This record gives sequence, C-alpha cells and structure tokens, in this order.
Amino acid sequence: MRTLIVIPCRDEARNLPDVVGELRSVRPEDDIAVVDDASRDGSAEVAARLGCDVVRLPLHLGYGAAVQAGIKLGQRGGYDVVVTFDGDGQHDPADVAPLVAAVAGGADLALGSRFQAPGAYQGGPLRIAGRRLFAALCGALTGLALDDPTSGLKALGPRAQALFASSRFPDRFPDADALVVAHRAGLLLTQRPARMRASRNVHSMHDGLRPFAYAANMVLSLLVAALGRARDLRE
Amino acid sequence: MPLRQQVVFLALTGLLLLVILELVRRRRLRVEYSWVWLASGASIVLLILRYDLLLALTETVGAVVPTSTLFFLCILFLAALCLDFSVRLTTLTRQVKDLAQELALLRHSRGEPAPPTALRAGEREHERGDDRFR
Repeated sequence: MRTLIVIPCRDEARNLPDVVGELRSVRPEDDIAVVDDASRDGSAEVAARLGCDVVRLPLHLGYGAAVQAGIKLGQRGGYDVVVTFDGDGQHDPADVAPLVAAVAGGADLALGSRFQAPGAYQGGPLRIAGRRLFAALCGALTGLALDDPTSGLKALGPRAQALFASSRFPDRFPDADALVVAHRAGLLLTQRPARMRASRNVHSMHDGLRPFAYAANMVLSLLVAALGRARDLRE
Repeated sequence: MPLRQQVVFLALTGLLLLVILELVRRRRLRVEYSWVWLASGASIVLLILRYDLLLALTETVGAVVPTSTLFFLCILFLAALCLDFSVRLTTLTRQVKDLAQELALLRHSRGEPAPPTALRAGEREHERGDDRFR
C-alpha cells in the first residue's frame, strides 16, 4: 500500500523534528507531507530540512483546510492510503499500521480511537464530556457507532480521499461531522485502537470560551451534516 | 402626501439611483449586485407617487401608521440584504480556500521554495478560532 502521511501543522517547529523522526523510524516506507498553515515560527523550513514534502498554504486557513490540502496532494499523487497525523506529538506512529491494514482490508476510512486503547490520554473532563456528546449525537443521527469521533488520526482510502478533497468536506470543523458525511455518502467506516498522548503544546482547547464555541459549532455542523440533502452527498 | 415632500423625496431617490448607475458604469459595483439597489430605489419612487399603495399595504399588514409599514419594509429589506451577503461570503470563503490550496499544491509540484510567511509584521491576522491548532 503506497501511503502518504499528512501532518497539518501551525507553529509546530519545536515538535516537528520529534514527530517526523518517530514516524520515520516506525514507518520508513511511507512518504510524509507537512502542510504548513502559514506558521509564524518557521515550521515549513524545519519540515523541509527534515526532508518532508512541504505544502505551504499562503494564507492561514485553519486545520480543516490544511488537512484537506494534504488529502488533495495524496489523491493527486495516487496514494492507496492517506493518513492524517497531528503535528503536536499526540499520535503514536505505531497506531498507523492497524489503520492502513483496515483500509487495505476494504474499509474506506479507519479512525484511531483512544477508547479502544487502554491507558490512552483522555484529556480533561471538558474534553471527555465533549467527545461523549459528539459520539452520542453522531450515533443518534446516523447509527454510526464510533466512540472517538473527534480523533484527528485517520486513514483514508481512495473513496474517502475523493470525498474529503471535494466541497462536501466540512472544512471548517472537520471532526464528527466529516464522519457523518462519509457515512451518509455510503463509505465504509471502521475504528482501531490508538494510544493518544497528551499534546506537547501548552495552549489548547482550554483557553477561555473557545471550547464552548467549538462545541456549539460542532453540534450545528453535525446537524447540518446529518440533515443535509442526500443528493448533495453523492456526485 | 404634500407636494413639497413628494418633490424632496423624489429628488433624493433620483440622486440615489444616479449614484448607483454611475457606480455600475465605473465598474465599482457589479451589475448583478446593482439590481437590488435599483429595485429598492424604484419601489421608493413608486410609493412616493402612489401614496395610496402604502396606505393599502398598511391596512393589509395591520399596521396603525404608514411610517411603521415603511420602517418594517426597510428592516426586512436590510435583513434580506445581510442574508444575501452572508451567502456570497460563504461562496467567497470557499473559493479563497480552494485557490490558496491550489497555489500551495502548484508551488509544491513545481518544486518552488515557498515564500516566507505571507503575514507581514504588524499585520493583523483574521482569527479563525480553530481549536485544533491552538
């Protein structure tokens, strides 16, 4: 399986050497593309020095659009699998293999789930509550039983790549809603254990009112994904 | 409606319509955006010349004074306009995103070194409020 690992990043110059180094030692065969979302700390230069493919967005577009740029790169490059992998050190490269295997085994999208892996980092009570809410909403709206729908660790087969590269991808808040869209578009989704770690970045979801704004946007985006016109999902 | 009021309002509306036409002529305003303004100007003219229409409308919607009907219509018009702008902004946002991605991918495929970060010092950045990158 030709695999492209996409690392969307914004201001991760400090973390990239470790993240990329660890990935290289575990997954020497895979290509690594760093999508730099207009970082201000020289992330792109660091990634280039590490020998990664670097796609540098000329404008700050946000996480979703950065991931999508990487997926577009993978899709055009004809990769069998595109893996999205966070640049802040919270994903374990050892968890990539089961996801790629799931796609090789016929799944369109394989999701890394911390709830399938005992001892994985769960985050604070707010995060846990948020994930429960999204998982419950996701399940109620579509019947999808995915217990970690906000996971950023995903493996995408060609059909999922095509869907996520299109305008049907919710590029603003691409978490549970993207999975709902994929499910409704008829893709086969599955999950595998992922031993998530704590992010190495100090600033996170816990700044001020951000988590609440995020949750509210996510709920709305989920509803839109679930209630959207079916014919917009097929093309 | 007194003749004096009619003349004043007609003159003002005529000026508004002229400004709109001039903006379109100088390509400062796109033709497809101008029709809303032209239509609103035309309806003002209509209501000035046919004040009885406004009175009938007031009767129909159940308002007490014609001024209320007029204000109500204005607010409705502005709300519709804002909604229309939001829809257009959504389209523009998607187009800018797609273009930025294409530019980045094109530069990548040509092996061009990416230029230094586009943001200049002191330039305010539009905050995307994106938690995954926080």
